[in-house]
Amino acid sequence: MAEMLKVTTENRDGLAVVYTEGYINNQGGEEIARIAYQLIEAGHKSVLLNLAGTKIVNSIGISILIEIIEKMLEIEGRLAFCSLTPTIEKTFHIMGLAQYASIYPDEATAAQALVS
Amino acid sequence: MTVESEVAHSSTWRELIALAAPGRDGRMLLDRLAAEVARGSGLDSLAVYAEEDGELRRRLQTGPATFPARAAAAPGAAGGEAWGRFEVPGGLLLYTPPVPAAELDHHAVLTLLCALRAVQLGGELKRHSFAASYRGVELQSLYDVGLAIARTLELDDLGDEVLLRAVSLLDARVGAFYLYEGGGYRLERTFGGEAAPRVAADAAGSAAGLLPGARHALAVPIEADGKRLGLLAVGDKESRHGVGAFPEADRRMLRLFANQVAIALENARLHRQALEKERLERELDLAAEIQRQLLPESLPDVPGFEFAGWNRSARHVGGDYYDVRGAADGGVHLVLGDVTGKGMPAALLVSTLHSALRLLLAARPFDAELFERLNRHIVESSAANKFITTAVARLEPGTGRLDYVNAGHNPPLIVDAHGEVTELPPGGIPLGMFGGARYRVATATLEPGALLCVYSDGITECEDPSGEEFGRERLSRLLRSAAGRPLADLVRAIDEAVVEFAAGAPQGDDQTVVLARRS
Repeated sequence: MAEMLKVTTENRDGLAVVYTEGYINNQGGEEIARIAYQLIEAGHKSVLLNLAGTKIVNSIGISILIEIIEKMLEIEGRLAFCSLTPTIEKTFHIMGLAQYASIYPDEATAAQALVS
Repeated sequence: MTVESEVAHSSTWRELIALAAPGRDGRMLLDRLAAEVARGSGLDSLAVYAEEDGELRRRLQTGPATFPARAAAAPGAAGGEAWGRFEVPGGLLLYTPPVPAAELDHHAVLTLLCALRAVQLGGELKRHSFAASYRGVELQSLYDVGLAIARTLELDDLGDEVLLRAVSLLDARVGAFYLYEGGGYRLERTFGGEAAPRVAADAAGSAAGLLPGARHALAVPIEADGKRLGLLAVGDKESRHGVGAFPEADRRMLRLFANQVAIALENARLHRQALEKERLERELDLAAEIQRQLLPESLPDVPGFEFAGWNRSARHVGGDYYDVRGAADGGVHLVLGDVTGKGMPAALLVSTLHSALRLLLAARPFDAELFERLNRHIVESSAANKFITTAVARLEPGTGRLDYVNAGHNPPLIVDAHGEVTELPPGGIPLGMFGGARYRVATATLEPGALLCVYSDGITECEDPSGEEFGRERLSRLLRSAAGRPLADLVRAIDEAVVEFAAGAPQGDDQTVVLARRS
């Protein structure tokens, strides 16, 4: 049984927060993309990905996250990340995700920046 | 307006330039240009194909007609087929109605194909840029792994770190981390699926059986100096289209990674050893302190007699024990015990002997029954391979009478005033060997000027660098030469003689002497 990513969403004062738990790989990335595109369709322009429950991400997962960022840029929206492990945060910086998506240490800080 | 100015102000050019910005895949631009071709050429439907992996694949289409995904399957316009066909190197347009290609709006077609190529090149650039960046991630990961796992000294944390890093680095779906134990690999951690719990030492050569749920597997051993330490296995290399086999480059990457892990495993092992050694030393220090407290702080002051005792352990905690203690009836008990082995188990048995003997000597007459009881207690309290050679004597100061039991110990020596040496032979086997052992109390007399010496085999069996033993004869000579000197001097002389004889050879056993002299 492959490690499946669990994805849940919550609306925090108008900010769509997506929580992940598990491996962000091909399957996990596709699931995040599906949820993110649903949120975009529903009119959300700011989406926060809280990765506190994720300790591992691979290159396929990263490429899908980049696609989500591109989609958000197309609609002039914002995708942000919070609660990353140091390894994942470093990976996001090297892969350039941090250039187009903000990274926050925790959800409260992210919410403050994104909602204001 | 100049051509340059016209181009610069063209919305198409601006959109092409904008393709370089992140988040632009050119889809909207291509759709608009395709619609312009259709409108300018009077077409209902249009499909654009581009060369990819040696074949023409459909990249976009407009209008209601259904076009095939690959152009190889498309019939040409000639012969009355449904579609018209406009071919250029690396690209193709199929369209309806099938008007002659010469009637198409060539300017619009050219713009569309150029834009398509630009989008294609942009995509390729993005893929190459991603691959280059990810190579950076791989290198950074290898570096980080070296640092992180070198810092991680707990094997539990190390297992998680190693496995997660390996799975993510190789885009694997599942993984397993094994440690080498007892001639095979024992499963330590899995990720994403099941793994064989225990596999043979040559498992790295055939990875297929390691991860039963994976269609493709790769395994490399973790080795240091040719010594097997563990095994890393990953399964099912991911791509956007599913899973596949791992290329040779991944094997090289996993080997590099395994080299880092080998260093970390060695660090963790050494760290564990150091902690264990530290713990053991603390215990030994404590046990040595307890054992020191078992030895007499002072010796009885009996008119007409002089007593001395001395002990040097081969380790922190030794297996020798002695006691010289006055009894309530005016007698004096002299004890020397030598437990098999050294260290903590020997010290525990010394403690048992000490407490049991003190209780029995205080409560019972000095007879064979006392020693048989003591023996049964030692048998019940000790491991099967533990026993104690013991010499216990009861001295009657008024007469010099010496009742003694030698339970398998080196014969104590009595050196009389003329230098004659008498050995006190065994009266039973060492304590703790058999529950039903019998003991005999023998009697000797310590005449005026005579010296009693009870000693452990650490003295007589002390070896010099050539392997020769110190021996009973050397000890007897020392005892004879001590006439008229305080026993403290004799103890010092024995100590110095043994050290000089050993000439730097390591002390193999505890060394103990108990002396009693009648003046």
